[in-house]
Amino acid sequence: MIKHHPSDETLFRHASGTLEPGPRIVVAVHAGGCPVCAGRIGEFEAFGGSLLQEIEPEEMETGALDRAMAMIEADSSGRRKTAPAPRLARADVGIRLPEALEGCGIGPWRWIGPGVRWSRVTLAGDVDANVMLLKVAAGRRLPEHTHVGSEYTHVLKGAFSDARGRYGPGDLDEADDDVQHQPIVDDDGECICIAAVEGQTKLRGLFGRLIQPLFG
Amino acid sequence: MNASGHGFTTADRVLPVFDLATIGLVVTMRKDEALLSADEAGRLLVAVAAERDRAAFAALFGFYAPRLKSFMRRYGMSASAAEDVAQETMLLVWKKASYFDPSRAGASTWIFTIARNARIDRLRKEGRPAAIATAFDPSDEPEGPASGEAAVMTAERDERVRNAISRLADEQADALRLFFFGDKTQSEIAGELGIPLGTVKSRLRLALGRLRQILDDLK
Ligand SMILES: [Zn+2]
Repeated sequence: MIKHHPSDETLFRHASGTLEPGPRIVVAVHAGGCPVCAGRIGEFEAFGGSLLQEIEPEEMETGALDRAMAMIEADSSGRRKTAPAPRLARADVGIRLPEALEGCGIGPWRWIGPGVRWSRVTLAGDVDANVMLLKVAAGRRLPEHTHVGSEYTHVLKGAFSDARGRYGPGDLDEADDDVQHQPIVDDDGECICIAAVEGQTKLRGLFGRLIQPLFG
Repeated sequence: MNASGHGFTTADRVLPVFDLATIGLVVTMRKDEALLSADEAGRLLVAVAAERDRAAFAALFGFYAPRLKSFMRRYGMSASAAEDVAQETMLLVWKKASYFDPSRAGASTWIFTIARNARIDRLRKEGRPAAIATAFDPSDEPEGPASGEAAVMTAERDERVRNAISRLADEQADALRLFFFGDKTQSEIAGELGIPLGTVKSRLRLALGRLRQILDDLK
């Protein structure tokens, strides 16, 4: 039973295509298992459709249609070829990963502290996006932290809690920059999450502080 | 009708939001000029898919390409980049027409999602070495970020969303139209109006909350 969803604002940005690549994949993982959010994204996409329908058109350049027709002829005769996307290495991280991560590179587990391991997730098109799997042992408390950009954490296995509530499989924790939290993992088993922070250039917050030295 | 040439018009009115008229960010929308109805667009897409109908494709291009270009300009793209994305989107419409399912989404919504993804792919390529960029074909991408949506009955969704927008206060509908195009626009609005970004964000939250309420009432 999913209890924690992304905010409507995040889903709106997801639908409009203005959410950053890292958060976008985490929200996509959540929506892949959450019909409520998939439905809301669909509604916001319909909003985008109505915007497109009603927008004041801007004239295309002279000959645009001719160029388009030439392109589809080339496409139909098979002359426009593209190479297949490169395959990224996927380590076995011990759990079945959601469909939304298909095509992503998955790094091996690496130790970053007592009871805490992480694995780098590489997006096919956005190699610089800061996305990671995080595995935390049962009962382990994470260091208290704040972060500057929003932090998106989706639970794949197990559960953690902090002052705001308990987050189990399928839940997405969207922590604003003003949230200060100290999550603790349930006693009865490890917790595996996929997480991303906003901000392309610099890792921040808990994961940032833990992992920054590794990205150097 | 507006200075930038790529806003929205509603009948003959221009609806300013937060005095946006003064900063050249007027959002106007067009309601009465239905050059291509949703049903017609859907039929044209089906004809493209089933018969590779070039005349149908040309009609779709005539309606959507200039709107796609205008749409991409609203995201902050240059005219030439917007033109490219409009072309790329229409080519993908041609390639993928067989995936269009009128029972799942309206033509404009479907074309919007293709354009959105084409824009995202373009941003990716701009941020990467050319060697990797050429190896990546957007048509290999899954259809939008929202997978797992297949089971949801969406035939009436477009209609319900349109209905909901019409019930929003003009100011809130305009706010959502603005915010749709991203954070940069939000910061611009905040900067130009001299109000904190937080105020702009809270207006977005209010407008989204109201839209949510109306959408749920209409279910
Ligand atoms: Zn959800």
